[in-house]
Amino acid sequence: MPTLAPTDLTQLSELLSCASVKGERIDELNLSALNKIIEHRPEDMTVTVEAGKTVAALQTELRKQGQWLPIDPPNPETLTIGSLLAENLNGPRRLGFGTIRDWLIGIRVALADGTLIRSGGKVVKNVAGYDLMKAFVGSRGTLGVIVEATFKLRPVPEVESFAETTCDSLESADKLIQQVVDSPLCPVVLDLHQLPGSNPILVIGFAGTADEVEWQIGQAKTLGIQTPASLEYDRTFWSNTTPAHSVSVLPSKLVEALQKVDAPFLARAGNGIIYYRGAAPAVVTNPNTALMQRLKTTFDPRQTLPDFPFAK
Amino acid sequence: MPYGTVAEQISPQIQQALIGIVGKENVICGHEELLVYECDAYTLEKNLPNAVVLPRNSKEVAEVVRLCAKHNLPIIPRGAGTSLSGSVLAVTGGVMIGLARMNRILDLDHRNRRALVEGGCVNAWVTNAAKSHGLLYAPDPSSQSACTIGGNVAMNSGGPHTLKYGVTTNHVLGYEIVLPDGEVLWFGTTPDGGEDVDGYDLRGTAIGSEGMFGIVTRVLVRLIKAPQAFKTMLGIFESVDDASQTVSDIIAAGIVPGALEMMDQLITQAVEAAYHFGFPTDAGAVLIVELDGLGAGLDKQAERVVEICKQNRAREVRMAKTEQERADLWKSRKRAFGAIGRLSPNFLTQDGVVPRSQLPAIMKFIRQTSEECGLRIPNVFHAGDGNIHPLVLYDERDPDQVRRAIDAGNVILEKCIELGGSATGEHGIGVEKIDFMEKQFTKDDLDAMRKLRSVFDPDQRCNPHKMFPGSKRCGDFHHRKQISA
Repeated sequence: MPTLAPTDLTQLSELLSCASVKGERIDELNLSALNKIIEHRPEDMTVTVEAGKTVAALQTELRKQGQWLPIDPPNPETLTIGSLLAENLNGPRRLGFGTIRDWLIGIRVALADGTLIRSGGKVVKNVAGYDLMKAFVGSRGTLGVIVEATFKLRPVPEVESFAETTCDSLESADKLIQQVVDSPLCPVVLDLHQLPGSNPILVIGFAGTADEVEWQIGQAKTLGIQTPASLEYDRTFWSNTTPAHSVSVLPSKLVEALQKVDAPFLARAGNGIIYYRGAAPAVVTNPNTALMQRLKTTFDPRQTLPDFPFAK
Repeated sequence: MPYGTVAEQISPQIQQALIGIVGKENVICGHEELLVYECDAYTLEKNLPNAVVLPRNSKEVAEVVRLCAKHNLPIIPRGAGTSLSGSVLAVTGGVMIGLARMNRILDLDHRNRRALVEGGCVNAWVTNAAKSHGLLYAPDPSSQSACTIGGNVAMNSGGPHTLKYGVTTNHVLGYEIVLPDGEVLWFGTTPDGGEDVDGYDLRGTAIGSEGMFGIVTRVLVRLIKAPQAFKTMLGIFESVDDASQTVSDIIAAGIVPGALEMMDQLITQAVEAAYHFGFPTDAGAVLIVELDGLGAGLDKQAERVVEICKQNRAREVRMAKTEQERADLWKSRKRAFGAIGRLSPNFLTQDGVVPRSQLPAIMKFIRQTSEECGLRIPNVFHAGDGNIHPLVLYDERDPDQVRRAIDAGNVILEKCIELGGSATGEHGIGVEKIDFMEKQFTKDDLDAMRKLRSVFDPDQRCNPHKMFPGSKRCGDFHHRKQISA
């Protein structure tokens, strides 16, 4: 079936409703026609945006008012807000700013039968009703089609600064990471990455007022992290179109896990997340599978949307 | 059989079975003893559960739940009973499962900044235990010295510091939950696992489900680094409007305070009478602004805040000079509800939210409402979040005042929704705000929520008659409604 590209919500709703009635499956949808910012309220630090807008285009608009959505996923120029949410993507600043679920305050979704629903709202604090938003984030489009989202925003930090150091070995990187964790520093980025045939590099990043960033850069220097750096390594890693595997471990066990990865890697050292390309990690059975499948069949009883996407 | 009366006592056999699981000392069936459990901090509706059991571990919780499933009895999870929306009311009786005996901190892993606690662990204990490692648990509801982490998960609780740090869902990594059929599962990050978990976000989906998806028995929380420094200021304003404008201007200046709280004149007077902090009692409103973070540059930010206050005609801005002064300021804020006893025999706490920029509009509306209904309505609230807590003062001995208080609360919440907000920012729907669900959500939205409920609790037996329009109400409440009609 060709990719469907509805031009508005009514058409999307009809497409789903027809497919659902006929028992057909819609595997791919192109929502690029739904690309408007519906409402940006700088005074409330919130924005409501359609799912087809790219992350980069949204950030450009927000920046004009000195604000941003604190998330830095790979390839923001082509990544849409809908995919950002459905795939639950994030980037190096995750340590400082969390993941997209932490910023999402409202959502509009086309359910499998075309019904349009909302969850959450437009205010930054809201506990009315169940938090359906969380079910859709990271659901890879298998429970419904996200068509619109409202986010909390943050002021763009006055200053951002990065520093790095090359470590002799993974063990010495481990010690340095431990020192950072024990220090008063509040990094927004703490990444460890390694290319074939080279040593691991630890990158640290700070964001905030000029004073606090300057003070932290000074402190990082005393730990031996002093070469000015950028996040280019992250961009390079994700410009490779081969999908990467991801492994999540206790942050204290990061290096132990990295020793088993026989490939170039990119790791969020502060969060204990490793990305690499190579042999897939072992699949473990998930004791919650039956419940998750029940969630899937409840929201998509006629299999209109893509299949249950997780390992069983 | 009218709603709210118990169809029949649970049989001696079931009582014996409960005793067999948790021991005689942990089963409460006597009418007098059950009275403690007839309501939570929302006292307009009351009803007794048939029994209260106090299990000591997850296994006992699961066995009790399975027994209730077998006999088709409602189960009502209960933490400390501090809910302000009637979330743990036994609307049609049933077996209340209290987590009071499961209140331990099981592990504190400072390297990975996590703590594993039992569901009945008191919120404030976590931060107290983490303090010596320079860490804290961020969500800090005003009831934090009593409320439990399991209850916080159920209600997705907030607190004054959520403006910068977020609410419970942003700080709970995972938890063990006993589903209504007795199955024990772990949602989210496991105690020794990485933070990312394959699959749908069941953890996030069930946080804030108001105890309707199961009973949370163990919780893995995220700890954050305690701020190195604080600048806590008290801005004194002639009017609520000036204080509200200051809130907007601070945010617009790109400053994100740790907390930004407002108290209006009535509440300031009550707090002053009760605790003598030296608040001016003739000021229209006071703002507590707390900046936190690294020491570097915090002074400069504080100066900026003072400047913004002054631009909005602040009479005075006081800076807490010592940790004691800061603690006192927060004590005054967190005990504000308690001071209300000086103003009125009863009060109804509301919990609406508006977009920050609508604060002046909603405060004006509350003043008008107060005049129209002839009841005083002091305000103490999380201004930075737009989360208001109007306290409608009334005397329950006067049925007409009760009626007017309920009506005033209702029109204020309706106005919040009209201004683009919500009927609840942190207290939850419970039984109290059921009528607002249809005002805030469409039928389709509510149907989707019902579907979600059916995934976790197809029999609708877990904490029933909450949240959804059409739920049964207590007999007593019907009586009150009639008075108010």
